[in-house]
Formats: sequence, C-alpha cells, structure tokens
Amino acid sequence: MLRLFWSRPSANYAIAESEPSELMSKDEQRDLFPGALEMMILRTLKRQPLHGYALVQHIKRTSNDLLQIEEGSLYPALQRLLKEELVKAEWGISATNRRVRIYKLTPAGTKHLEHEVSRFERMLEGITRVLAPGES
Amino acid sequence: MKWLRQIFSRRRIYGELSDEIRQHLDEKIEELVAGGMSRRDAQAAARREFGNVMLTERDGRAVWRWSWIEDFLSDVRYGLRGLRKNPAFTAIAVLTLALGIGATTAIYSVTYATLLAPLPYPHPDQLVMVWPQFHGRRVWGASAGDFLDWKRQSTVFEDLNATPSQGATFNLATAGHPEHVRAQVALPDHYQMMGVPFLLGRNFLAEEGTAGKEHVVILTYKLWKRLGANSAIVGQQLRMNGELYTVVGVTAPGPLDRIQFDLIVPLVFKPDQINHAYRWLFVMGRLKPGVTLAEAQAEMSVVARRIAQDHPDTNKNWEVSVERLQNDFLPSDTKVSLWLLLGAVGFVLCIACVNVANLLLARSSVRQREVAVRVSLGASRQRIFSQFLTESLVLAVAGGAVGVGLAGALVKVVVALLPEFTLPSEANVRISLAVLLFTVVVSVAAGVLFGCAPAWQASGVDPNRALKGDRAGGGRRRLRQALVVMEFGLALTLLCGAGMALRSFWNLAHVDLGVRTDHILTFTLPVPEERLKQPEQMIAFYRELVAKMRALPGVAAANVATGLPVEGPHRGKQFWIAGTPHVERDARPNAGFQAVTPGYFEAFGIETVKGRAFTEEDRAGGVRVAVVNENFVRRYLPNVDPLTQRIVTENEVPGVQAEQPLVEWQIVGVFRNVRSYGLRDDKVPEMDVPFWQSPWPGVEMAVRAAGDPALLTKSIQEVVSSMESDLPLANVKTMDQIVDDRLAGDRFYTVLNGGFAGLALVLAAVGIYGVMAFAVAQRRHEIGLRLALGAGRNQVMRMVLREGALLALLGMGFGLIGACLVGRVLKNLLYEVAAIDLGVFAGVALTLLIAAVAASYVPAWRAARVDPIVALRYE
Repeated sequence: MLRLFWSRPSANYAIAESEPSELMSKDEQRDLFPGALEMMILRTLKRQPLHGYALVQHIKRTSNDLLQIEEGSLYPALQRLLKEELVKAEWGISATNRRVRIYKLTPAGTKHLEHEVSRFERMLEGITRVLAPGES
Repeated sequence: MKWLRQIFSRRRIYGELSDEIRQHLDEKIEELVAGGMSRRDAQAAARREFGNVMLTERDGRAVWRWSWIEDFLSDVRYGLRGLRKNPAFTAIAVLTLALGIGATTAIYSVTYATLLAPLPYPHPDQLVMVWPQFHGRRVWGASAGDFLDWKRQSTVFEDLNATPSQGATFNLATAGHPEHVRAQVALPDHYQMMGVPFLLGRNFLAEEGTAGKEHVVILTYKLWKRLGANSAIVGQQLRMNGELYTVVGVTAPGPLDRIQFDLIVPLVFKPDQINHAYRWLFVMGRLKPGVTLAEAQAEMSVVARRIAQDHPDTNKNWEVSVERLQNDFLPSDTKVSLWLLLGAVGFVLCIACVNVANLLLARSSVRQREVAVRVSLGASRQRIFSQFLTESLVLAVAGGAVGVGLAGALVKVVVALLPEFTLPSEANVRISLAVLLFTVVVSVAAGVLFGCAPAWQASGVDPNRALKGDRAGGGRRRLRQALVVMEFGLALTLLCGAGMALRSFWNLAHVDLGVRTDHILTFTLPVPEERLKQPEQMIAFYRELVAKMRALPGVAAANVATGLPVEGPHRGKQFWIAGTPHVERDARPNAGFQAVTPGYFEAFGIETVKGRAFTEEDRAGGVRVAVVNENFVRRYLPNVDPLTQRIVTENEVPGVQAEQPLVEWQIVGVFRNVRSYGLRDDKVPEMDVPFWQSPWPGVEMAVRAAGDPALLTKSIQEVVSSMESDLPLANVKTMDQIVDDRLAGDRFYTVLNGGFAGLALVLAAVGIYGVMAFAVAQRRHEIGLRLALGAGRNQVMRMVLREGALLALLGMGFGLIGACLVGRVLKNLLYEVAAIDLGVFAGVALTLLIAAVAASYVPAWRAARVDPIVALRYE
C-alpha cells in the first residue's frame, strides 16, 4: 500500500501490508525509504538508551507490528549511525543481566533527528495533500 | 583524521559487531524458550526473524570500508600471490619490463637533465645571454665597447657580465711536473651573478677586476681535488705562467666541474681592448625580478640602434638578441638526437609491453576456468576486468622497481660513454626525483597498456563454455597475432634507425680526411704570450726546438702549426681578394686560418694540387705567401688562376684585441681539402701561411715517428724541458686518437641505438616464439588430424614456419612506414645516408625474418613431432 520513494537493493528491511497475512510473499513487502530506519532508531534512542535487541523490539512494538523489520537490518543501520557519530555505544549490563552494547544519542544525533523529522513531516504533508481525494 | 582512526580500529569494530549479533540471537532464543518454545524451534525462529546473519555482518562491515581501495588492495594481494606461484612467468615478464623501463628511465634521465630540469642556479629564469646579431644571425662574440655600452645604457638587468669566448690557458707549477690548465676569464661579478656557491673562500672583489690587482684565482672543485684538496688553500699562492696568483676561493661541487676549464681569473679590460671592432666576449646577464624576456629584448633593441648611430663604421646593421641561458648553447642536433633516443627506448618499451601482453594472454586462457568460477559466483565483468588489470599493474610496478635498479647501472654506462662536454655543464645526469616520478608514470602507463587487452579478454569469458572445457580461441589468437605484427613493425623501425646510424658511422670512419694519420704524435705547446713577445723571439725559439726534435732518434719530421688537421685551425680570418670591390668590414668572408712550417704538408701527406707548398725560402721579411684549399678556390676564385691572386687580411698580433693594419698574401699553391672542421664538414675554405712569416707563441706540434709515435712522448718532453723548464706538453695525442675522438659522439649514438635495436630484435624474436609455441600447443588436435590424414611432417613444419614468417613480414610492412618517417628525421643528423637506405633496409628486414623463422623453428619442430594418436585421444 505504501511505497515511499526509491528502493535500495541492499536494504533488507521492509514495511508490511496494513493487514499482515500469513500468505504474504516477499514481493508484496514494501521497501522503506532510505533513512527511515535510521530516523526511527534515533527517535527511539532519544527516549532512552537501549541495546540492539531491545531497540528492535521497541520499534516493532510501537509500530503495532505494522512495520515488519528483519531484525538483522538494524545492525548495518546502527553501524552507519556509529560511523557518522550520531550515536555512541558502550558495553553494559542489561535488565536481564546480559552483557550488551547500549546505544545512546549524541548531541549531533539529536540535531540530526530534529532535522530529519521536520523534513519527513513536510514530505508527508505534501504526499497527503496529493493523495487526498476530492481536492483540485 | 577520523577515517584513519577508523581504519585502524576496524578489527575491533568488526569483532564487536559479531559479538552483538550473537548476543541478539541468544537473547531472542532465551525469550522464545521462556515463552514455551522448544530450544530447537526457538533457534530456527530467531534466525528467521533476524534474516541472513552473514549478509547482515557483511553489510555492517561494509559501512566502514572504502570499497574500491580495498577491492584494489585485495586484488593486489591476489595478484602478488599469483605471481609468486608462477616464478618462471613472473621472472620473464618482470625482466622484460625492467629492460624496457630501465632503458627508458636511463635515457630520460639524460633528456631531463639536459633539456627539462631547471638550471641549478637561483632564479634561473632571470639568467640570459645577450648576443650581437648581424643581419639576423647570431655572432659568437660581442666587442668590449658594445658590452660596456649595453651595461651603461640598459635598465632591465640586475647585472651584466662578460667572459672572453676563448678562455685562457696557464702552465700551473705543481709539485711534480707542470700542468696545463684551462681558465675562464670573467669579470669579478660574473659568478656572483649566476649564484654559484663557494666551498671555501670567496668570489672576486670588484677591485680585483682592475689592473695590478688581478693576480687572484678561484679554483673549481675538481682542480682543488686534483691538487690535493687542501682545505687551507685560500690565501696561498700558485705559480701560473711563471707569475704568482693568490687563491681567493674554491667553488662548491657542481656544474663547473663538468665544464672545460679548471680555474677562474678576473677579466681586466686593457685600454686598447675597449673598442667596437673586435668581437670576442660572451655576455651573460641577470634580468631584474619581474622583467620579461620581451621587455629586455625591446630595450636592448633600442640600445643597439643607438650604438649603431654612435658607431656607424663598426655597428651599422648590428642588432642584439636576448635569449634565456637554458639550452642556449646546445646545438639543435643534440636536442633532436636526445629526443630520438628517447623515442627509440620508447619503442623498446612498447615491444616489451607487447611481449608481456602476449604472455598474459597466454596465461589468461589457461585461467579461463578460474574466471568462469568467479563469474558463476557472481563477480561482475567489471570486477574481473579490474582484477586482471590490477595484476598487470602489480607486474608493471615490479618491473619498474627492477627497472630503476637497471637504469642506475645504465646511467653510469651512458655517462661513461658520453663524450666529454657533449651536454651543458648544468646537466647533472642522475636518477633524480623527477626521473623517478617519470618512471612511476611510465610503469603504470605500461601496466595499463599491456594489461587492458588481456583483462578485456579475461572478463569476457563465457562461464558456460569455459567450464565445459571449450577453449575458445579464434579472437584471442588473432589478437595475439596482431600484437606480434605490431612488435615486428616497431622492431623494424628501430632496427632501420640503428642500421642508418651504423651506416653513417661507417661512412664517417672511412671518410677521406685528406691527410695521413698514422705514425704522427701531436701535442700543444702552451708558451705564454709573456714569454715570447716579439716575432723574432718566437721564430728563434721554434727554430731551435724543431731542430732539436728532428735530431731525436726515431723522429722523421717535426712541424709547428697554429692548428691541426681534423682538430681544425684554431682561428678564422676575415679577408677579401685584392682588386675586388671593397666590402664593409663586417660582411667580409671568413676562412680558416693557420700558420704552418714548410714540412707540414709533406708530413701529413696533404697533396698540393696546384703551385707549390711552402719552402724554407718563405721567411720573415720576404714576400708574404699563402696556400689555400680547393674549397677556397671553388668559392672565391672560381674563374681565375688562383696563383695570380692575392688575399688581403688584417695582421694579427698575439694578445691584441683591436683592429690591425692590413697585409697582403700572394697565393702560391692550392692543396687538397682536409677535413678540419669535424669529419662531416667538407665545405670550409681555408688559407695557410708560413709560420715563419706569421709566428705565434703557443702552438701545436706534429712529430712524425719512424716507429710507435706514443713512445716519443718522454724524449720530446725532455727536449722541451731543456729549453723551458716549466712548460708542459698538453693534449698529447696521436693523430689516430684525434680522429677517434672526433668519432666519439657518433659512436655513442650508434652504440646506444644499436643496443636498443638489438634488444628490440631479441624481444621481438621471443614474442614470436611465444605466440607460435602457444598456437602449436592449441592446435595439437588439428595438427594430429592433419598428420593422421596423411600430411607429411615436413609439411606441418613448413606450415608453422610459414605462419611465423608471414606474421613477421606483415609487421615489417607496417614498420616500413615508421622507418620512412624516422629515416627522414635521422637523415639530417647522420652522415651521407638516404632517408630509406635500401641496403640497410634489406639487411634489417633479412635479419628480422631470420630471427622470426629461427624463433618459430622450435614450435614448428614440436608441431612436426605431434603424435596423432595422442593428440586425437586428448579430445
């Protein structure tokens, strides 16, 4: 239903149909637009620092499982953010007493997030207007 | 430097990524197990939800990579491994390339040092030569009057200095025997202006350019070393021509050690030297910062016109040309020769590249399977191409590295072979940084050149066919044949050039010099002007010397002259024929001029074609007589009996640089032309006069020996010493040596060209061998079939040989075009060769054809020995 902009061949994450079905094939999955996953990661980390597993669970949960993200796809995205120094990572102990790597937003990350969110909102507004029935 | 830190911490980053992913999966599994799933199912589910772990890790790592650089580096590693595994292939390819690159580097180092490198002086662009011009042609000397006016009236120069075009010579008293040294005579500021650094002491002071204070000397580094490298020499006195000179400085090692003179003394203008008539100075200047050559030229043209108005009798129609110092003295022939040599080695390099390309093509067809496997596993055509190209580059760089080593050795050989003073003194031939940079560029270019075709071939492999073992070969073989054709084309061009150089050298070595050169010892007797001032003194001195020498055992004849055959008369003289219309002084013709004793013509076997040679009757006080050569008669006395004519010249007095009274010489004989201005020249008019009528203090002597002339040196030195204790013999050479020295430049050029052509021949032969051997190996099946169907072994052999010869002939056809082009350029540099010398061409073509057939012989023989049964079973 939603196909936002171009697809990136190496991106192995996808947005699911609004009504997930058992029979959904790979072809029916839709690509996220580039940067979407990163934006969601940054937004999530803004609330609280998390480790990878918790992060992906949180994103899945809050999206009501509408976004069916391949869990692994989180990690290349995290590496990109690390490289850009938008997040930083430290080894620590999780609530379940595991040794995990906890990601935290950097000031640059906060700024980047604000910028991206406002861009996304403008974009969404534009798309919504075009898609709105009846007008013009 | 963030990226640098990241590169070095990458191993840790990758490790953390793997750890993290493992932790992720563990946590998921634990959670699913806690939710009641069996561990097995939980593991499968966790993996399913996670996606492809390997791909995820790869993508995660890829974030940190510089992909093309790292692909390149891994290709380099792969290439190096491949080369190590094939030592024979590697050795041949690297050696071939090293020969090409090494030769190119060595010759480039000469070209660079001579033509391209900036002069080794501060702000070299400001240094200019200022030349007088007469009717648009450079005249090799300005008068002192001109120079002083230029200096006074111009504003564009920071400084302007003069040196006599002919340096001075001194007899330097040393601990052992007296040494004959050459000196540059220069105004005090000259070397200061050039920016020549000093090792010890100082430059001349301004006051040392005035009469009475000029007995000071600067030693060049080379003379200082030769005199024992005494670090306390400054302030000490040297005995030169019997007078004492104080050493004020020693120049630092550099250009002055590659120049003809050994020391420098100050130039002091004597009052009678300051005139506009006598032109004897080289003038060098340094432009003020910011002044362009054009501005300087414009101003000097104005100055020249003003001088012409002030001194119409000497300077009418004289102009001035301001030229950059760099390469201003280098004959254009030398420049062209250098570029041609570079072109020749460039050809050798091309042939080497073609050979390596051929080797790589052969190797890549063996590697078809490997490529097919990689293509099947998903490698793109571009990746394969760049991998093969990278391997070629690795090979090229290895070849370049070995080549630089080779070039280092070759440069030493070239410098040793190069006749002295051929290159400008500033040219310091060595493997400099700029030369190394050139080598790197050439190596990479070579790698791309020979790597592209094989890489293209390799990347076009069809995995389907290759994996089935079908060795496709049509296009590939044609490409390899085309390369061999090219190679033979290049080789023919090179060999033709070398053949022409050899032919020219042979012509020169066998040229009729017009003199006998055997059994003659020659030497210079540098008697200082101060020692023999009056003509009577000179005559008396030399009469006695000649008499004493003739009395020596083993001496058949001894003669005195102011020049020598082949070496040339050291002077030229302006003249006109008495009774012809008056010609303005500057426009008078010039002829070689030398004074000789009566036995000179006989001793050298110079034929008198008309009239007579000199006799003892032609002495001072008698009628002034002269003999001229055939060129003189042909050019100036075409329709008259030369023996009725008189020549008018200015008289010449040693040490006087000013206009002199006129004297007339009655022509009494015509002698056969002698090659006196180099072996090539047969056009220069010459007039000789009796030494006893026109004596000179410093002379050349020629002694004809009954036996080995070189053995006479010692007894002659004793005779000279008995008359003049600190007078050295200088330039002691047999006449044969003089001729040999004259050939040095051509020998150098011929040897280098011949060497490169020989290399090209060998490389071309190796190339054709490789192609034919490979073709035979590939066609075993076909050959087996032919043999099985009844073809004779000789027939098969002929087939292979014919193919080899055909390729060579085709290449030579193309080479003919190159040979024509090169021949047209070479013709002007060489002696009496045509642009296309049929003899040379036929010889070269035959040599190449024989090489091709000989190189094809082994493969042909192998083809003939194919066992049909084995060959057919192989399929």
